[in-house]
Amino acid sequence: MRALGYFIGTFAVALILGIGSAWYMIERGSPLTTVQAGPWRSWLSEGNPNADPYTRAHLARSGRLPLTSTAARYFVTYTDGRGRALSADCEYSIIGAPINARWWSLAVYDGYGSLVANPSDRYSFNSEEVIRRADGSFHVNLGPKARPENWLPSGSDSDRSLVLVLRIYGARNTDIGGIGQIPVEHLPKIERVRCE
Amino acid sequence: MRVSLPGLYVALGIVLAGLIHVVAVLTLPMLAPRDAQARLAALGPANTMIELPPSAPGRQVMPMMAPDVRYAVCRYDLSQGPVRLRARIADPLWLIAFYTPLGENFYAVVGADMKRPDVDLIIATKDQTVAEVGVDAPEAFDNVVVVTSPVVEGIALIRAPLAGPSRSAKAERALKAANCTPHSSSS
Repeated sequence: MRALGYFIGTFAVALILGIGSAWYMIERGSPLTTVQAGPWRSWLSEGNPNADPYTRAHLARSGRLPLTSTAARYFVTYTDGRGRALSADCEYSIIGAPINARWWSLAVYDGYGSLVANPSDRYSFNSEEVIRRADGSFHVNLGPKARPENWLPSGSDSDRSLVLVLRIYGARNTDIGGIGQIPVEHLPKIERVRCE
Repeated sequence: MRVSLPGLYVALGIVLAGLIHVVAVLTLPMLAPRDAQARLAALGPANTMIELPPSAPGRQVMPMMAPDVRYAVCRYDLSQGPVRLRARIADPLWLIAFYTPLGENFYAVVGADMKRPDVDLIIATKDQTVAEVGVDAPEAFDNVVVVTSPVVEGIALIRAPLAGPSRSAKAERALKAANCTPHSSSS
């Protein structure tokens, strides 16, 4: 009887570990499937027909149709530069260096991947419309209240979690396999300014 | 030598956890209930170019769609024969990408790489021959590219990134001109 109890216990622990590790590696990624650059994470083989099983599962779960990394790079973050979860309660200063690509866009979503309703119908800034400073950098202010320069509204619903997506089409620097290369220091820095 | 009993359980647990992990990773793509194909099927019939409404809060066909890209989609079904996709690339930023229902992007047309703006593609499986279609009017098929689809049912997605804040009307107009129709040799 005791042996059976141990066996069931072992099986339960194995179930939790197996499912848990699978979920984590599919949802969040691992060094096998993603590259991490500061808070930004990018799935390298997303959309690629020869992708590994983790990337395939991640893509199928997401319900998206991304371009492969030779046409576009996607960088996603759920946190600020210090690893704290992005929240609609807080104001963030996003400072970006010039990105060498045909087109890019920085968009904000809620935790479910939906756009955030706001009175100015502003959901993103792209390379064609962002206001740049004299040195070519851009400063985006993410927060619930109107701000000068580039204001990316995070809506009136507090304690909403946020996701930032930076999509870069046609990166001009590519590696030997044609994958667009974005130097880590050219990805926007996200600083939390204050919280409600 | 006798293996200790707790050690045996730990070893068994690790092996079981590994097996469960592998099974979970491999079955998940098949269990995903709302994949892109299912979301797009709700919009309209196959073999027709459908312009997606601009993304807005609570009105997104797929999660995390770009708010500043306009999309048109053709959900193609090759079971009755090849499908033809024609579009005029209105901007070098445009991209036409072909997907399997699982989201694998097996072919892409990059606007910036095109020498001329008119795109004329015939989508066919590798068993379908489209060579004879050019016999009646060979010169008209000079620019036609045959895209071999690994799946009978797939997705062609045109992306028109907005080149500026007031360009959406222009992009939407240009996307309307794109079309997707069953291809017959008489056409």
